[in-house]
Amino acid sequence: MNRRPKIAAIVTEYRKFSHGQHIVDRFLEGYGWNSKHHYPPMDLVSLYVDQVKENDLSRERAARFPQMKLYPTIADALTLGGSDLAVDGVLLIGEHGDYPLNEKGQRLWPRYEMYRQIVSVYRTTGKCAPIFNDKHLSWRWDWAVEMVETAKELGFALMAGSSLPVTWRTPSVEWPAGAAPTEALCVAYGGVDSYDYHALETIQCMVERRPGGETGVAWLQAYRGDAFWDALHAEVWSRELFEAALSRSHTLTPSRPGFNHIFPTRDEMRELVKDPIAYVYEHNDGLRCSMILLNGLVQDFNFAAHIQGRAEPFSTQMYLPMPPARTTLANFFSPLVNNIETLFLTGASPYPVERTLLTGGLVEAGVDSLHQGQIKLATPHLAVTYPAPTTSTFWRT
Amino acid sequence: MTTQNAPLRVAVIASIYRYRSHAQHFCDRLLVGYPRGGRWHRPNMEIVSLYVDQRPSNDQSVDRAREFGLTVYPTIAETLRCGGPRLAVDAVMIMCEHGEYPRNEKGQILYPRYEFFKECVQVFEEDGRAVPVYNDKHLSYSFAKAQEMVADSKRLGFPFLAGSSLPVTWRLPDVDVPLGAGIEDALMVGVGGSDPMDYHALEAMQCMLERRRGGETGVAAVQMIEGDAVWAAGDAGRWSWRLLEAALSRSDSPLGLTETDGRTQNLIATGELKRLVEKPAAYFIEYADGLKATLLMLNGAVKDFLFAAKLAGEETPLSTQFLLTPGQNVTYSACTVGKIEEMFVSGVAPYPVERTMLVSGMLESCLTSRLEGGVRLETPALRVGYAPPAQSQHAQS
Repeated sequence: MNRRPKIAAIVTEYRKFSHGQHIVDRFLEGYGWNSKHHYPPMDLVSLYVDQVKENDLSRERAARFPQMKLYPTIADALTLGGSDLAVDGVLLIGEHGDYPLNEKGQRLWPRYEMYRQIVSVYRTTGKCAPIFNDKHLSWRWDWAVEMVETAKELGFALMAGSSLPVTWRTPSVEWPAGAAPTEALCVAYGGVDSYDYHALETIQCMVERRPGGETGVAWLQAYRGDAFWDALHAEVWSRELFEAALSRSHTLTPSRPGFNHIFPTRDEMRELVKDPIAYVYEHNDGLRCSMILLNGLVQDFNFAAHIQGRAEPFSTQMYLPMPPARTTLANFFSPLVNNIETLFLTGASPYPVERTLLTGGLVEAGVDSLHQGQIKLATPHLAVTYPAPTTSTFWRT
Repeated sequence: MTTQNAPLRVAVIASIYRYRSHAQHFCDRLLVGYPRGGRWHRPNMEIVSLYVDQRPSNDQSVDRAREFGLTVYPTIAETLRCGGPRLAVDAVMIMCEHGEYPRNEKGQILYPRYEFFKECVQVFEEDGRAVPVYNDKHLSYSFAKAQEMVADSKRLGFPFLAGSSLPVTWRLPDVDVPLGAGIEDALMVGVGGSDPMDYHALEAMQCMLERRRGGETGVAAVQMIEGDAVWAAGDAGRWSWRLLEAALSRSDSPLGLTETDGRTQNLIATGELKRLVEKPAAYFIEYADGLKATLLMLNGAVKDFLFAAKLAGEETPLSTQFLLTPGQNVTYSACTVGKIEEMFVSGVAPYPVERTMLVSGMLESCLTSRLEGGVRLETPALRVGYAPPAQSQHAQS
């Protein structure tokens, strides 16, 4: 591509600390990268904002960056008010804003609906451009599948996902080449249909690198409340891995006054964690994984796995410099934006969208299991297979 | 079958033992364990005796003594002898940070580290046996005293480790100056008050620069200036704006407009840097081998500790953030305790105490320069050379 690519951004909300603000600002203002303040070599020329409230920043940004125009519809943002597709890449950021919940507790982010409007322009004009979809594809499995199939059908690159796979790691380690996991888990925080997704991406970006690649998931069972503590006691997941993950945390809540960092007993954990949640699931090749949310005990994302032939667990933390408590910038969006730049410059996603298709399906399965009384759900629809990316895409430089 | 050795007996000499004091952060890790390499590690050592110089109403020493079976003694000599006739411990930790101590005219807090150390040395001499000593933070506010402390350790032949946690904490990214690399220019960004936080920043800079070609040669001259003269010095080429851009590219906490609305900022290009920093300070370090390095204390602009250097033959500066992991856990102190344990077990300090001695002298001379109106001071006493550790010592696993 000889000229600078033009980019359209479709966001639900543009206010301080919304994903729209984090991502679009990095295209407009630049960001720290590899020892300089980096400006993406592309122009963000159009913006559609679905919900504009008192705390909206899009008007302020448009005034300071006149090359970026605000448009009243998604189609206009893609055609710059004309009749032809006028951009070379699209950011679809359907996170934050006021959207209803369904009876299962899923937030009905309009990602699929917005994606359909984008694709409608592609079909009408006969032209396509790569799309980055922030976070998971859709709360509804068949819609998520349709999004992936549409991209394949029309032949444009689709990238999706969380910052967790691409942020710093402490320690800064990649899944060892050729290593076969026998079990993996993530101990994290946050809620159902929310940070569970980030924790699932944390696990998946590691275990997808196992020999044979991803095979999909056969079943999932959620545990919550007393059932969680029973499962912990019964070692439904490895106690050794669980403790290894907690030992990677930088935010282990002190269980005793006067101590700043102390390993909690089970009883102390029960005092601290009022609503523990786990999704235990098994891949089609037999790999067992557990996604664990312990609000009250940790505030970070910690991964641990047993590897065949190794005595010691393999573990790391996917480190999020999270504002406002620890930082002022959510700089884990910087490696995400950098990978999005690669998508727009090369026309190929740096990592497979199938990862996010699968993790989105796992979120929905987790919600369903909880909704149906924590039952074990067969997930034949999650037979998603794909090869892992051959290069590492997390932040190391 | 291996037999467990008897636990190492450790004496702690503390200024104060209260919640969130250095003594509490460090010594509790020996009592309750700490994260190390993805495990909750319980060191095979026990604190058997404790001296506490100041015991305000939030003192924890009595509680710790009762709970962990150690004894608080009224003097340092009794602490080292555990109330008996001769030295009765295998190692000593001098934790003299926090507590109420006066400042001198240079603004240095007069922590009695030298005095505590000398009382230990007196016991070693009287009893004809010396054991490894860890001294928290810099050795003394006085370089002459610091030199004497190091000379005592050489004379009596005991391992001596000191310093800040910044050299051993996680780095974002996980980089080190390649051993033996030519360094053409270097810059450190620090924040916080003098004299505690400038010391941390200088030691972080030093642990990088000591790895340069030829090893450490000591410091020939220093100068400290404050105010707008700092910017003028940059404009005049005394320090590098390019390296400052590289360092700031690693910041997670730009202040000002980022706090207002979350935006990323090119603090230099927008001029915000000069607006945000009310009273910048520059510490110029001229090494004996000709290398010039600068510490900029930039309170008001950022909240992190950042390093950048121009390496010979490398177009892009090397840069990183020394990650001060979140409170309450302050896991960076676990990195230091890992090094202390290593020395206590092996009898060899993992990195040279001369680093901390030199930094103690650099800081004292810079503060003298400030007191004398920002004059350049020749520092013949600081021409202290040493060899850096061959292995990188920061958190990597």
